[in-house]
Amino acid sequence: MAAGPEIIPYSEVRQDLWRPLSGASPRYVAMVFFLLAVSLWGLFSWGYQLHEGIGVAGIQRPVFWGFYLVDFVFWIGISHAGTLISAILRLTDAQWRKPVTRAAEAITVFALMIGGLFPVIHLGRAWIFYWLIPYPNSRLLWPNFRSPLVWDLTAISTYLMGSTVYLFLPLIPDVAQLSQHATGWRRKLYRALSLGWTGSDREWHALERAMKLMAAIILAVAVSVHTVVSWDFSMAIAPMWHSTIFGPYFVVGAIFSGIAALLVVMAIIRKTMHFERYLTPHHFNNLAKLLLLMSLLWLYFSVAENLTVWYGNEPKEMQVFGARARGHFAPYFWIMVFCNFVVPFVLLGIKRLRTIRTATIAGVTVLIGMWLERFIIVVPTLARSRLPATWGRYAPTWVEISISAATFAVMALLYLLFSKLFPIVSVWEFEPHPEEED
Amino acid sequence: MYLKGDFQEKDAAAQALRDLKAIGFSGADLDVFSDEPIEFRRGVLDRPSRMSLTVVVGAITFCLLTIGFVYYTQYDYPLVTGGMPIFSFWATGVVFYELTMLGSILTTLACFLWESGLLRRRRAPAPVVEPEVICIRVHCQADQAENVSRCLTRAGAQDVGRIGDRYE
Repeated sequence: MAAGPEIIPYSEVRQDLWRPLSGASPRYVAMVFFLLAVSLWGLFSWGYQLHEGIGVAGIQRPVFWGFYLVDFVFWIGISHAGTLISAILRLTDAQWRKPVTRAAEAITVFALMIGGLFPVIHLGRAWIFYWLIPYPNSRLLWPNFRSPLVWDLTAISTYLMGSTVYLFLPLIPDVAQLSQHATGWRRKLYRALSLGWTGSDREWHALERAMKLMAAIILAVAVSVHTVVSWDFSMAIAPMWHSTIFGPYFVVGAIFSGIAALLVVMAIIRKTMHFERYLTPHHFNNLAKLLLLMSLLWLYFSVAENLTVWYGNEPKEMQVFGARARGHFAPYFWIMVFCNFVVPFVLLGIKRLRTIRTATIAGVTVLIGMWLERFIIVVPTLARSRLPATWGRYAPTWVEISISAATFAVMALLYLLFSKLFPIVSVWEFEPHPEEED
Repeated sequence: MYLKGDFQEKDAAAQALRDLKAIGFSGADLDVFSDEPIEFRRGVLDRPSRMSLTVVVGAITFCLLTIGFVYYTQYDYPLVTGGMPIFSFWATGVVFYELTMLGSILTTLACFLWESGLLRRRRAPAPVVEPEVICIRVHCQADQAENVSRCLTRAGAQDVGRIGDRYE
């Protein structure tokens, strides 16, 4: 991954980054329709579940948490892409982050919207979800604030609110510029979103201050959100869930999968929108190194978690450990290790092999591996509970598979629509001078 | 009335701001417009802010309100807790933390809108700024216009003129 970036005139930067906003190729339209069809199929499946009851899903005694909870943890993890890339790198003033921040922040918002849906889907009777919201109802009952379900609600709502503000604030200068050049409904939309931005120094100062504060706040919120998600498990006194390192273990896994998602999204954007000059090998190289670092951290936590269980040799925990490492779930476990450690370590650890293509391949395998990791955490503990008489198996039904597949389609669809409405690379933040690049 | 001058260089714009302050203009009379953030040295055109402090106050306020709310609701309908405290600080700590952070997020957004002046009705005309141009707008009296124009031109401004009628 060589060659430094060239100097690109500002007018050209703007023209290039605005180009994808106008027109839609037949391939784009076909993709939108395909994703829409998959999303609608998922919606139909959920409707079927609402009509028939939660029994149409594969979750049943003793495995009451299945695909829905796996997807929930997975998508909340993906949402950490924006936090790490944008907030940490903004606070440390890393210049190379500039072309990738918006792509990352958009992942955060969309992944949170999708992840936040799963507890509602998992409820079965989704129409009584509002019982979680604290309001003085007719029975004078309030939500139980000691319940991790209410913790999830407050944590995810706060994170979604914060991430939306964090995505929106740096978008304002761009939409203000767009509003001067757009026509029709787009002009109205951009003018409304720009809030009357004129580009005065008072506005820039306020924006920069707000972004610095938001970066610090969103970082603290993101860490807490995935810690709270991990506490959904570790607060239960169940084998291989009741662990003190679950909080940091989940946070590391979340950042790991977030970077992987960002790498994959960036590679797609670079290819389809022809942003080769803006998303350079330099950016992929830096992200690939971060992914490698997180892979090693993930391995460290996984070893720490599993080794202490194995060495402790507590019979109830060893049942779950055995099911994961040698039993029914072993294929998923070892594929997870292969995807999360072996592939990134080989492809990204050897400098000669580290290219945009291999970084993207590593990103895809890490996404698969991290989904399997969530599955490995959620299901075996329930399938091998303390009483052997209550052991059981879990197999997802077409409803769960459809809904899970639809969430990936929804994510891609939201991203496609977002990139058609707003510049996916921040124009005003883009630094066209190579000496300031790094 | 409002005068403006366009600059290509940041240093020239900074010099113009210093000159204008030297002849009696304050920061409130001066505005700089650009399509990207411009950082001047300290003392050229400082914009003091209380955003950080306000955000802390907002966070503390939300935290106290949340604690009060949770305390009230737990006692409003006391559940049977088997001898455990009805209001448990640690078991509800996550809710306090998250809503404290929500308070800081909302206060940051409110402070940004307030300090930037967005959403507020503005009487001063905003100049149209071309890419890579720094525009200084000066609020002055008619009898000061000549002095201001001279200041801007001497510092290197191009296209010095009055704004208001044309751009409003």
